[in-house]
Amino acid sequence: MPRYAMVIDLQRCVGCGACSIACRNENNVPDGIYWSNKITETQGTFPNVRYHYIPTLCNHCGNAPCVRGCPTKAMHKLDNGITMHDPDKCIGCKYCEFNCPYGVIYFNWRKPHTFWRDDKALIKGGTNSPKEEAQKVGAKVVPYYNPERDDTLPGIRPKGVVEKCTFCDHRVNKGLLPYCVEACPADARIFGDISDPKSEVSILLGKFRPFRLREQIGTEPHIFYIRDFNPAHYQPTKGGV
Amino acid sequence: MSEKKGLYGTWLVVLGIAILLGLYAAIRLFAQGHYLFNTNDVIIWSLPLGVYIFLALTSSGLTLLAGIPLVLKVKKYEPFAKRLVFLAFATLLGGFVAIGLELGSVEHMFWILFSPNFSSPIWWMGFIYSVELVVLIVKFWKMHTGDWHSGFSNALSVISFLLALIAPLMIGSVFGITESRVTYFGPMMSVYSLVLGLLSGAALFMFYSMIFHRVTGDGAVESQTPLYNEFATIFGYVAGVAVILTLVKFAIESATVVPEFLVYHQFAHAFGAWQGFHVEVLLGLFLPFVLLLVPSVRKSVGGKIVTSALILVGTLMMHMEILLAGQSHPVGPKAEQYPAFISYFPSIWEWLVFVFALAIMLLLYTLGERYLKLAEVPE
Repeated sequence: MPRYAMVIDLQRCVGCGACSIACRNENNVPDGIYWSNKITETQGTFPNVRYHYIPTLCNHCGNAPCVRGCPTKAMHKLDNGITMHDPDKCIGCKYCEFNCPYGVIYFNWRKPHTFWRDDKALIKGGTNSPKEEAQKVGAKVVPYYNPERDDTLPGIRPKGVVEKCTFCDHRVNKGLLPYCVEACPADARIFGDISDPKSEVSILLGKFRPFRLREQIGTEPHIFYIRDFNPAHYQPTKGGV
Repeated sequence: MSEKKGLYGTWLVVLGIAILLGLYAAIRLFAQGHYLFNTNDVIIWSLPLGVYIFLALTSSGLTLLAGIPLVLKVKKYEPFAKRLVFLAFATLLGGFVAIGLELGSVEHMFWILFSPNFSSPIWWMGFIYSVELVVLIVKFWKMHTGDWHSGFSNALSVISFLLALIAPLMIGSVFGITESRVTYFGPMMSVYSLVLGLLSGAALFMFYSMIFHRVTGDGAVESQTPLYNEFATIFGYVAGVAVILTLVKFAIESATVVPEFLVYHQFAHAFGAWQGFHVEVLLGLFLPFVLLLVPSVRKSVGGKIVTSALILVGTLMMHMEILLAGQSHPVGPKAEQYPAFISYFPSIWEWLVFVFALAIMLLLYTLGERYLKLAEVPE
């Protein structure tokens, strides 16, 4: 059985956000919820400042606090290492969200996609209402609804339960890459089986010194970051007193 | 007599209105979702959960106190036993109302039974309190039918006592074992929960008994004045332990340089502070503790009411403060969508959940007191 992991090459990542947009489309993610997200940091004091960008998603931890804490096993591990969620078993206690050290789990506070459920047209008789728009393209709730998401998880999760990245398990089951990996124009995301020493992820992890987020708390995150993007130059110097 | 009847009727009407409002809030929550709360993906748990923690821990405290006559067999406290067991049950039920309305999908609750996760402190907390509720009901029924000390009845006392010891430790571990939030103090949270539970349990019993005495002019309470004075001393000792633990907690907070604690300090003053001490701790714990050291205050009905009322409000505020402070800053990428530091004030719907839980609890107290002979002692 493979153990899936992802390497994110920060030198290749340009921070375009295509991963996040692709994720929303693929997984019918509602507004206000971010399966794929980012951490941006500005360091230094003006005028010597730099901007850093770290893409984030569920770390599919080996020792996942969300799985350990879930009272009904709604949050659970698959044999391939993916941390999966079953909304039918979720009681909406939000302990996984509370317990996640990475801030990648979100709660559906209301019925998702409220905008597309609105039946008021902007111009009566002139434009479609959002609800009509979705109905006319034959979609479920949102016009860009992806029915393939239903393979392993309700395509749109109901209110009162949490949701998060599943490494696009519905695609992985079919031998396809997670959609964020597919959509990345810079090939900054590399996905594969970390238990296979010949996989691309294993080769990269042997070649570059990776880091993981909050590694010290022992959660064994399976998102690895390598390299950094920094074109800055400086003249050789020993500093001064 | 007619004045008392009028008061009783008015009281029932007030509780009825509160319960109707609570039911309305529950319907709106289940129909529209928990966005009606002033919560978000940073402040995830709010007033309803704080109320649950407060009531559940108070119930544990009451059960532990009931253990003095029922488990430790200190016979002179037997006149308190039946009322303590009943209050513990009714208070826990109020807590269940609060947590039930906090959960997003309460209809999936049966999975707690069919898909249990034994590594989850929430599962253990839910399981232990559910068993505790059943044990308390059966124990109360046994006492009500005159069976106080049979083997089965004694076993129920011991089981409920042990469950009441473990349950607060579990509530503490729900917070204490979160890797992502160091501000919850790890294992200390469990001990702190147990002590605060015992404290609020003692405060509730004292407050309730004195108010009951004032409202009904019940002679039984008056005749037991020495016993209540002795109980006030126990109350003072428990407050003393809570004061020491709180001082240790403050010492850790003020000595640390862990970044999360520095953010925590910003939030620590949400309710106001004096010399670095939170107002709810000063007025809700330290002040009543000092008052309880004065014998004349400890022995007077007014002193008992004031100190227990201060501690009841104080412990609820302390639970809320701890709950919110640990969630005051967004974790990881959530800082992209939310400010670095978030404040909170409950919405009307959260207040209604609070009112609903209290009203159910108070209605049970009222009916229990009227129909179930709570001052009964074994023959």
